[in-house]
Amino acid sequence: MTNLIRRDLIIQKFQLYLFIPCILFFIFAGSHMSAFFIFVFAGFFIPINAYSYDEKAETNILLNSLPYTRTQIIASRYIGAIFYMAVSIIITTALFYVFNRPFTWADIAIGAGITLTLFSFSFPLFYLLKPGNIGTAVTIGFILFVVLSGPAVIFFEEYLTPVVDFLVSVSSSAIYLSSAGIVTALYAASWIISQIIYQRKTF
Amino acid sequence: MENIVEFKNVTKRFKDFSLENINLQIKQGYVTGFVGANGAGKSTTMKLMMNLLQADAGEVKIFGMNYAGNEKEIKERMGFVYDSNVFYESLNLKDIRRIIAPAYKNWDDKTFYHYIKIFELPLNKAIKTFSKGMQMKASLAMALSHDAEFIMMDEPTAGLDPVFRRELLDILQDIMENGRRTLFFSTHITSDLERIADYITFIQKGKILFNDSMEDVQNRYALVKGSIDLLNRDTEKLFIKTERSSYDFQALTNDVAEVKTLLGNRVVIEEATLEDIMFYAKGAKHQNV
Repeated sequence: MTNLIRRDLIIQKFQLYLFIPCILFFIFAGSHMSAFFIFVFAGFFIPINAYSYDEKAETNILLNSLPYTRTQIIASRYIGAIFYMAVSIIITTALFYVFNRPFTWADIAIGAGITLTLFSFSFPLFYLLKPGNIGTAVTIGFILFVVLSGPAVIFFEEYLTPVVDFLVSVSSSAIYLSSAGIVTALYAASWIISQIIYQRKTF
Repeated sequence: MENIVEFKNVTKRFKDFSLENINLQIKQGYVTGFVGANGAGKSTTMKLMMNLLQADAGEVKIFGMNYAGNEKEIKERMGFVYDSNVFYESLNLKDIRRIIAPAYKNWDDKTFYHYIKIFELPLNKAIKTFSKGMQMKASLAMALSHDAEFIMMDEPTAGLDPVFRRELLDILQDIMENGRRTLFFSTHITSDLERIADYITFIQKGKILFNDSMEDVQNRYALVKGSIDLLNRDTEKLFIKTERSSYDFQALTNDVAEVKTLLGNRVVIEEATLEDIMFYAKGAKHQNV
């Protein structure tokens, strides 16, 4: 299993050289961006890039011909994503610290939460889609996001006051705890769904 | 004699193609050639063997075990060479070794580097720069490095030049020498099999026509040539398929002994090559073969 996780690093050796410059770029050029956004980017980078290699049917034929079970292949994807996200966030935090960019623990927590939510939705979707369609799916997803974000903002403006009122009324630790619970449940559900999809997949 | 692979009434259906009631045995310690036209079901059979596909009905046993619950153990002992490259294209062999080696308990680096040297493979060049022959050798080196007892090769000789094909057959003969290994390989270049195969499995339109020793096949099948007057309802039963010209006929039989007793020296009997069998069997009905 650790071999499968380590594999992600070997296959994207070259892209890894881009990782730190990208984060630095965000730190310097993105001073207007929220810190949590940079954490999301950092956490998302390695796992999603690794995934793009697994999209190919040939890679799946290789992995499934080696002495691994399909359960292990999916588990390595989900455990690996958490592991690489954690390492990436640690590196990013160190870079923030070195270059004196202010951030809070809340930024890290929100960043990790959003990243895990994104993984939860994208992994099963990717396993479900046929190879070659993932690019299209990402594009459609992005367009939907842009289109829907307008109405969403209007919606939030309308209902923001009651939402804020509600959030203020509960303690912040309760909010973090319940968000953590929701994200964990989402990730677990996503894992189970991916597992079911992958078990039935043919190559 | 033990069977390394056993298919019992295996059926797998797709929208436009199906394998029906496949029964297949691969004998331990021998080379079994798997022949059939393109689209006959060779790759599907091999994918069922690797558990890349699951059968709709029937039983697939490898080393006497089912895949359910034994997948890792089976694959530890199996090597694979596919007809297309399955390794990460942008990586070199060194990196691919770093991915594949830890997957196997039996991996031996010494053997790996030994075969890399024999096969003259570059360690630092990306796989995408490899020729088809080099990719095939790389897969074979991987299979040999974990001391696979059973090596499954899908069309290993397709697209190779004749010189290299010979070289490969020599290599295969070499690795078979200790008698522990079993080799199953599909091809539509039948002359390759005549050189090294001990058993032949013939598939056509999703059905196994025969699964016999090379010797049996050669003894049973023959090309029969003679005058067209000899053909009548009884004699035609001896043939799988008959080709007629105005005066003569040429036919394939799977019962040489009977042809000899019935027609004796009125016909010329010639040894049938696998290619002849493949060609004549194409138009024939299954039950005749």
